[in-house]
Amino acid sequence: MTVAAPIVFVVDDDPPVRRAIKRLIGSVGLQVELFGSALEFLASKRPDAPSCLVLDIRLPGMSGLDCQRELAEANVRLPIIFITAHGDIPMTVRAMKVGAVEFLTKPFRDQDLLDAIQVALERDRARHQEEAEIATLRTHLESLTQREREVLPLVVSGLLNKQIAGEIGTSETTVKVHRSRLMRKMGADSLAELVRLAGRIGIPSTKP
Amino acid sequence: MISANAYLGSYNYSEVARSVFVAIAASYAALDLTGRVTAARGRVRLAWLSGGATALGLGIWAMHFKGMLAFRLPLSVEYHWPTVLASLGVAMLTSAVALYVASRDKMGPVRALAGSVIMGSGIASVHYIGMASMRLPAITRFSPMLVAFSILLAILFSLAALLLAFDLREDTKWTVPRRLGSAVVMGGAVSAMHYTGMAAVSFIPGPPPDLSQAVSISPVGDNGVVIVTLIVILAAITTSSVDRRADAEVRRLNQGLEQRVAERTLQLEAINQALRKEIAERERAEEALRRSDERLQLVIDTLPALVWSKLPDGSADFLNQRFQEYTGLSLAEGLGWDWMRNAFHPDDRLEEEWRAAFAAGEPFEKEARLRRADGAYRWFLLRAAPLRDERGNVVKWYGTTTDIEDRKRAEEALQEAQDKIAHVTRVQAMGELAAAIAHEVNQPLTALVTNANFCLRELARAAPNLGELREAIAEIVSDGTRASAVISRIRALLMKRAPDRVELDINEVIQEVAILVRNEAARSRISLLTDLAADLRIRGDRVQLQQVLINLIMNSIDAMRTLTDRPRQLLIKSAKHADGVLIQVQDSGPGIDPGHADRIFEPFFTTKPEGVGMGLSISRSIVESHGGRLRVIAGSGGALFEFTLPTHIDGAS
Repeated sequence: MTVAAPIVFVVDDDPPVRRAIKRLIGSVGLQVELFGSALEFLASKRPDAPSCLVLDIRLPGMSGLDCQRELAEANVRLPIIFITAHGDIPMTVRAMKVGAVEFLTKPFRDQDLLDAIQVALERDRARHQEEAEIATLRTHLESLTQREREVLPLVVSGLLNKQIAGEIGTSETTVKVHRSRLMRKMGADSLAELVRLAGRIGIPSTKP
Repeated sequence: MISANAYLGSYNYSEVARSVFVAIAASYAALDLTGRVTAARGRVRLAWLSGGATALGLGIWAMHFKGMLAFRLPLSVEYHWPTVLASLGVAMLTSAVALYVASRDKMGPVRALAGSVIMGSGIASVHYIGMASMRLPAITRFSPMLVAFSILLAILFSLAALLLAFDLREDTKWTVPRRLGSAVVMGGAVSAMHYTGMAAVSFIPGPPPDLSQAVSISPVGDNGVVIVTLIVILAAITTSSVDRRADAEVRRLNQGLEQRVAERTLQLEAINQALRKEIAERERAEEALRRSDERLQLVIDTLPALVWSKLPDGSADFLNQRFQEYTGLSLAEGLGWDWMRNAFHPDDRLEEEWRAAFAAGEPFEKEARLRRADGAYRWFLLRAAPLRDERGNVVKWYGTTTDIEDRKRAEEALQEAQDKIAHVTRVQAMGELAAAIAHEVNQPLTALVTNANFCLRELARAAPNLGELREAIAEIVSDGTRASAVISRIRALLMKRAPDRVELDINEVIQEVAILVRNEAARSRISLLTDLAADLRIRGDRVQLQQVLINLIMNSIDAMRTLTDRPRQLLIKSAKHADGVLIQVQDSGPGIDPGHADRIFEPFFTTKPEGVGMGLSISRSIVESHGGRLRVIAGSGGALFEFTLPTHIDGAS
C-alpha cells in the first residue's frame, strides 16, 4: 500500500496572509492548497492523502466554525487548525470540543503553526493507516467460508473445540480443521492475535 | 167631716172648667219657660226667671181664685184683698223656686225632693191663704185628713211637675206635643189638689164677718182675672216662642258662622302648614348651600395646589389657604403684581411672560421656581385661564400653581441615567470598534510576521531561494504599510476622545468611517457606495460624528444581512442643503416599520434581539448638539436616514 504525499489546505480571506502561510508551509516541503472562503474549500475535490486544514474563523459568508460543523456532518474527519485575529475563550472551547487540533491567534509563531500541522498530519496519517488495515481485515473476513464465519465468534469467545462442535452440531475434528483454516486466512499467528483482529473489525465474543 | 149644720156649697161647672183650663195654660207656660230660663244666662236668665215666675204664679193663683169662685155658697162672700194679694205673692215666689230648681244644670234627688216640698207647700199655702181671704158669715172648719192629703198631693204633683219640666226643658222635635200632654197632666194635678183642698173645708154658720178691706167679686171682675191671667200667660208663651225662634235662628246663624269659622280655620291651618313646610325646606336648602359652600371651601383649601383668582385689572381677589401658607403672604400682600418679582426665581423669567399672556388674554402655562416662606425654591407648574363674558371680555382669571419639584427631580435623575447609559453605550461602541480595528491590524501583521519568519528559515538554508526571499520581503513592506494605515485611522478615532469642535470636511469623516466599515460590509456581501459633494465644511466633533455614521451604517448592515431577493446596497451621500450640509445613509433593506417610525429615536426602543435601543437616541442628541437635525425619511424603499449640520463659516467661532 502506497501512501500519497501529505497536503495542507489553507482557508483565509486575506490574500497577503494566504500567500505568507503558503510560503511558510511550503518551506518545510509540504504541499499547500489555498482557498479564499469556506464555501470554495467545501466545493473543492480533495485528494485521498493525509491532509489537514488551516482555517480562519472570521470569513466572509460561512464562518470557520460553521465550516467545521459542515465537515463533521459530512463525516469528513479532517484535522483542523484554527487561526483568528481575535478569539475569545468560548469560541476556542467550542472549536476544540468539536475536535480542532489547535487554535492559534494571529499573528502566530511560525513554529507553533508548523508543529500543529505536523501533529495534524500525523493524526490523519494514522487514521489513514488504520482505515487501510481495517480494509485488509475486511477482505480477509470476506475470504472465509460460511462455516468458518460461524466458528470465528465462538473461537474468539474462548470456547473449546468440543464445545464449539456441540454448539454447531458437528464433530470436534471438523471444528479443528475450521479453526486452523480461519486462523491462516485472517493472518493470525495466535488465538490472542485473532481476538485482537476480530475486535478491530467489530466481531464480538458471544460469551461473557 | 162635714158637720150636719154646714152650708152646702155647689160648683158652677163651667167655672171649674175655666179654672182647669187656666191651670193647664199655666202649666204649659211653666214647662215652656223652664226651657228659656235654662237656655238663658245672667240678667236675661233673671229676667226670664222673674217673668216666668210672674206668669206661672199668676196662673196658679188665678186657677185657685177661679176654683174658689166656682164654689157657690148660699151666702154672700167677700174677699179681704190684702190677703188675696199675699196669696198671689206666695204663688209667684213658689213659681220662682220651681223654675229655679227645674232650670238648673243638674237636678239630683235631694234637690228635686227639696224643690217639690217647697213648691208643694207653696201651692198649698196659696190655696189656704186664698181661703183665708174669704169674708163670709160662717165659721170655716177644716178636715185635717183632707188638708194633709191635699198638701201631700201638692208635693207629689210638684215633684212630678219638676221632673217633667226638667225633662222637657230642652227643645226637640216632639217637645211641643209632649209639653202639651204634660201641661194637661200638671194642670189636672193642680186642679185635683185644689179641689181636694176645697173638699177639706166646710162652712158652719157664724157671726157676720169683719168686712173692712173686703171686696165682693162681680162676675165681670171674676172673668177679668181669668182673661188678664190668660193674656199674661199667652204673652209669656209668645215671648218664649219668639225668643226660642230667635234663639234658634241665632243658634243656626251661629252654627253657620262656626262652620265657616271652622272651615276658614282649617284652610288657614293648611296654609300655615304649607308655609311651615316651605320654611323648613328653605332652611334645609340654606343649610345644604352652606354645607356645599363649606365643602367647596374645604376642597379648594385642601387641593394639593395653590389656587387663586384675579380680576381683569390684575389684582388678586382670592388666594387659597395653601397659597398663603406656602408663600407666607397674606391676602393683602398677595394682591397685585409686586410680590411676583421676588417670589419667583429671576432665571425663570416668569413675570414678563405672565404679564404678556395676561395682557393678551391668553391661557398661560409655565414651569418656574417659587420661593417658599422659608426662602427655599421649589419647581411649580403655573397654569392660568381667563373667564370671559358673552361679549368675550375677560371677567376673571383663574389659576393653579402645582408643586412639580418631585417630578422635576425625577426628570433630572432620568436625564442623568440616560447620560450614563449613553456613556456606557458609547464605551461599548468603542469596544466593538476596537475589536474591528484589532482584526484590521492583525491581518497585515499576521502576513508580515509569517513572511518574516519564512525569510529567516530560508536564510538559514544552505542555498536560500533568493527569488522567493525577494517576494516575501516585498510583501513584508506592503503589509507594514497596510498596518500603518490602519493605525492612522485608529489614531484619528481614538486620540480625540473628549468632545472637541473643530473645523472639518464632513466628506473626510465619511471616508474614514467607510474604510472602517468596508470590511464588515464586505463580509455581509454589501456593496458600500458613496456620493459626496465637494467642499462641505462644518464645525464639529469628529469622533462623535463618526459615531453617528457608524451607528447608522451598522444598523443598515444588520438590516440587510438576511436580504436575499435584491442586491444589498448601502449608499452614503453628502450634499449642500438650505440648513447647511445634508448627509444621507440609505440601504436596500426592509426599511422602517411605519408603526415604529416615531419611536425609533426613543431611548431603549429597539427591534434588534440584542439591541440596547440607545444608538439612534444618542445619534440624535449628537446631531442636535451640533445644531442639526436627524430624521428618518419614510417611503424610500429601504431605510433612509438623513441629518443636517450647519455650515461652518470661516471666522465664526
